[in-house]
Amino acid sequence: MDLFLQTLLNGLLIGGVIATFTIGFQLTFGVLHVIDFAVGGWVVLGGYLAYYMAAELGLDGFLAIPVAFVLFGVIGYLIGPVLYNVRNSRTARPELMALALTFGLFTLLRGGMLTAWGFNTHSVPTALSGESLSIGPVIVPLIRVAAAAFAVAIAGGLFVFLYRTRYGLAIRATAESRQNAALMGVNIHRLSANVYGLYAGITAMAGVLMGAIYSVNPEVGLRYTLFAFFVAVLAGLGSVGGALVAALLLGVIEAFVSTYVGSSYSLLAIFATLFLVLLVSPRGILQRGL
Amino acid sequence: MFTSTRGFSRRRFLGGSAFALAAGALGMPFIRTARAQVPTFKAGVITSLSGDNILGGNLTKRGYDLWADAINAKGGVEVGGDRFKVEMFYGDDQSNPATGADAAERLIVQNEVDVLFGPYTSGSTIAVQPICQKYQVPMISGSAESPNVWKAKPEFNFGIIPAVDTTAGKSLAVLVKISNPTAKTIAVISVNEPFSKETGEGFRDGAKKAGLDLVAYELVPAEGDLTPVISKIAALKPDIVAVGGHEEPLINVVKTSKSLDFRPKALIMHYGVTDPAFAQALAADANGTCGVAVWLPSVPYKDDLFGTAKEFAEIAKKKSGHEPDYTEAACAASGLVFGDAIKRLGKKPALKPENRVALKDAIAETDIHTFYGPIKFEKDGNHYHDNIQPVPVLIQIQDGKTVAVGPKDAAAAALTYPLPTWK
Repeated sequence: MDLFLQTLLNGLLIGGVIATFTIGFQLTFGVLHVIDFAVGGWVVLGGYLAYYMAAELGLDGFLAIPVAFVLFGVIGYLIGPVLYNVRNSRTARPELMALALTFGLFTLLRGGMLTAWGFNTHSVPTALSGESLSIGPVIVPLIRVAAAAFAVAIAGGLFVFLYRTRYGLAIRATAESRQNAALMGVNIHRLSANVYGLYAGITAMAGVLMGAIYSVNPEVGLRYTLFAFFVAVLAGLGSVGGALVAALLLGVIEAFVSTYVGSSYSLLAIFATLFLVLLVSPRGILQRGL
Repeated sequence: MFTSTRGFSRRRFLGGSAFALAAGALGMPFIRTARAQVPTFKAGVITSLSGDNILGGNLTKRGYDLWADAINAKGGVEVGGDRFKVEMFYGDDQSNPATGADAAERLIVQNEVDVLFGPYTSGSTIAVQPICQKYQVPMISGSAESPNVWKAKPEFNFGIIPAVDTTAGKSLAVLVKISNPTAKTIAVISVNEPFSKETGEGFRDGAKKAGLDLVAYELVPAEGDLTPVISKIAALKPDIVAVGGHEEPLINVVKTSKSLDFRPKALIMHYGVTDPAFAQALAADANGTCGVAVWLPSVPYKDDLFGTAKEFAEIAKKKSGHEPDYTEAACAASGLVFGDAIKRLGKKPALKPENRVALKDAIAETDIHTFYGPIKFEKDGNHYHDNIQPVPVLIQIQDGKTVAVGPKDAAAAALTYPLPTWK
């Protein structure tokens, strides 16, 4: 029973960790209609920022979270219009062109990080790194709790922003129909820049946590991109709420299969779940995807 | 802008530029011819210069380059009283075996290399072997520790580092012998990829020989989260946890164990612990982790090119800023094997196809002593063409430094056992 409870907690926390970098990915797809392969790049950049703030300035990794949001938010804001123009260009298959652009951006980020910071693996120290809490027989890793809380807070914050503000209404309107939103006076171009900036900022913040939980090197970005994509497909592309549910589901499946069946079957179980959900509910687990 | 004041008119500038360009263009073929008249040995390096194994890939490259720089500084490889410099060509396997095979073919066909220096990973090495066989080009591997690399008896491939099945089990036996109270149980975790898996198997088989009770053997995907498997193992309370993997998963094992407040009496890993990046990434949490090394700067070996092991370490540190580990040393020693074989063969560059086959035969007869230790390749059995001469040393990170803790005659410090609980 002790192991069961620990496994359940582990699964929920793994889900929470995955959700941190998937939520922004969903938002971008929902509004810009772009599958952003660069997501892993933003995660790793956030991790590097935190690592260097800790190594050079002696600051706690958590202090990098707001800096990551502002810095990468601005960079994302500048990149957003480029992505929007490519996605809405009159060339054949603009969706594929946008995909290629984000893939190229990811390659550029990865190569840039390799050139700038080398290939060594680093770790982000935080006040909660390695700290845990015992609740009866269950050990609670606090850094993962922080990541899960971050995911819930971001999802909640986005929910409030999207459903309780006028700008959120404009974003939702744009996600539903760009043309109609534009006819209603929404500046789609600027909105795209804002959304991509918001997404890059959120994802880089998640990267700080990833660097504290796991480790940072330029090559781990691809892994985050793949997981974000798995979760997004399971959630239904574009569904922010679905991303949280799907990430938790995948985390719990991974934990239980690893513990009770064998770690080598965990990815198989994840793919099988993905396949079944796509078969039964192509619009994702909550039927809210595009 | 370019007007006339000091006789420097636009016309003269353009004219001069055109002349310089024309002279450069005309001169280039002559420069090329002049360079081509000095024959050099061409050596191809295939390794992971991008992808998941980039850290190890660069370690191997660094080692091969150290030899090339050292030998070229001496005027080159000696053949029949003359010296010929070595020109290095690089192929990136992108941490993908199939790409490694393509890169090897490119180095052989396009760059016409005389010899190959092998990849960092065993998977890429196995993928490149058929290419070496097809084109009959010898490959000396300064990494690639999987026993599967040698089981297929590769005719053109030679390995400097002993396969993990000969080192993992032996070092585990040393750990058990010097542990006090004596360790009784073990759990093995390995990442599901060739080298790491075979390291895990080496630990698993070695555990049986060392009389340990194997309570868990877990294969984990490289992309997976380690909390479930660490929680499962923590519940079984093994005395020793042994891990097969490369740098990043090794770091994550320590971080995850600490986050779950689990610390076995001993934690032993294989490759990666000896790389200074491991201790740097984990800071104080790296202390206590054991590893296996087949070479340390403190070993009592020397040769004519690098001097003693300590002197080699100083040269390497001067170049990279890091203390070299055994892979870097073995890669540098790969060059010594080539230099010795070509000297005995007595063939000048560029090697003809039949000379490359003869070079392979000469490498097979290697019996030298280097700063890395003795090098002699097996002629039969499961470790065909592997150099299993080096004796593994059990190391432990203590106060951020790698120190030898066993076997007794190699120990520079006492083993910290059992490990204290996490602070």
